[in-house]
Amino acid sequence: MKKAQIKMTETIAVLFIFFVLILFGIIFYYQYQKVSLVEKQQELVAARAMDTTLKVLFLPELICTKGEAEPEDNCFDMMKLRNVNKTFKEYLTRYYFNLFSYSRISVTEVYPGNSTFILYDKETPSKDNETRGWTHREPTYFVVALKDDLNGTAVSEYGLGYVVVEVYS
Amino acid sequence: MISMFKIPRSRKAQTEMIGLVVIVILITLGMLFAAQFALKESPQKKIFTRKGLSYSTMSTIMKTTVYEDNCKGDFKIKVNPQIGKDLLEDCARNLDYSPTGYSLYRCREVHSCVFLEEFITGLLNDTLGSWNKHYEFNAVLIQAAENEPTKLFDPPITAGGGCYKKERDSSGLFPIHTSAGLVQAELFLCD
Repeated sequence: MKKAQIKMTETIAVLFIFFVLILFGIIFYYQYQKVSLVEKQQELVAARAMDTTLKVLFLPELICTKGEAEPEDNCFDMMKLRNVNKTFKEYLTRYYFNLFSYSRISVTEVYPGNSTFILYDKETPSKDNETRGWTHREPTYFVVALKDDLNGTAVSEYGLGYVVVEVYS
Repeated sequence: MISMFKIPRSRKAQTEMIGLVVIVILITLGMLFAAQFALKESPQKKIFTRKGLSYSTMSTIMKTTVYEDNCKGDFKIKVNPQIGKDLLEDCARNLDYSPTGYSLYRCREVHSCVFLEEFITGLLNDTLGSWNKHYEFNAVLIQAAENEPTKLFDPPITAGGGCYKKERDSSGLFPIHTSAGLVQAELFLCD
């Protein structure tokens, strides 16, 4: 009888340790899932940031063109840049929101000038109108040439600037 | 009576085996998790940004027109020079006279190689440097296949200790054919 009791206690101890291990496993898996969910969310935001950046870099409203020739990559036309804000505002809800969603796009001139052009800024709306509707802003930077044809010479001249695409999430 | 409850020897061995199998399964699961963490790829965006940014920075620098005093050269029609097309070529052609001797362009009253080093450092600092990116800008002159390439900027233009032995992406080579030889410029970007 005593031997049977010892056996049973042993079995209970083994089962207890087994369930403790299972519990540890479940807790570990839960924590891992939580972290990977946040990572997945960040990945999706990053993917959206990449998409938006590519759209901006090849936007016909900004890219350097010359007649029917191939557009120049990584180049914005200053003449277009100075006037595009009006178009962006006018067609924001009808066209540009579908392209850029909730994001902010700005171009900063580094050389020769130092002006900044905010082309598009649409924040995620907040629920109570008092706090911000977004918690994270994912920026992507790209250096671009700024072509200026208004310098009075026959040759195109290029400045240097950068475009910042920030995606709200 | 006692012998009736006694577990036969073969069954006991089977039970031990099951325990062993459970342990092996648990260890395998643990190792799979560990492998998943270890083999995790760097985020796609990081690579996209590094590759795209290094290429766009390099192509933009090469195109940039320089508006500085005494920069228009000794020509009848005065035009502002471009870094890639005019200044790098001038630097390569007059590399032997650097830093104090003759060069066609005398931007900021200095030799084109000295000016380029200063100017490119400034541009990279205002862009990549301000975003805490580490980089390395190299430009070499290849005169003949058997000769060692000559560095136009020695040491190369760097920030954050350069990109030696680090995970890095390159802009790719930007070759310029000059009368002095082939100039190859390249920008490395790392974290």
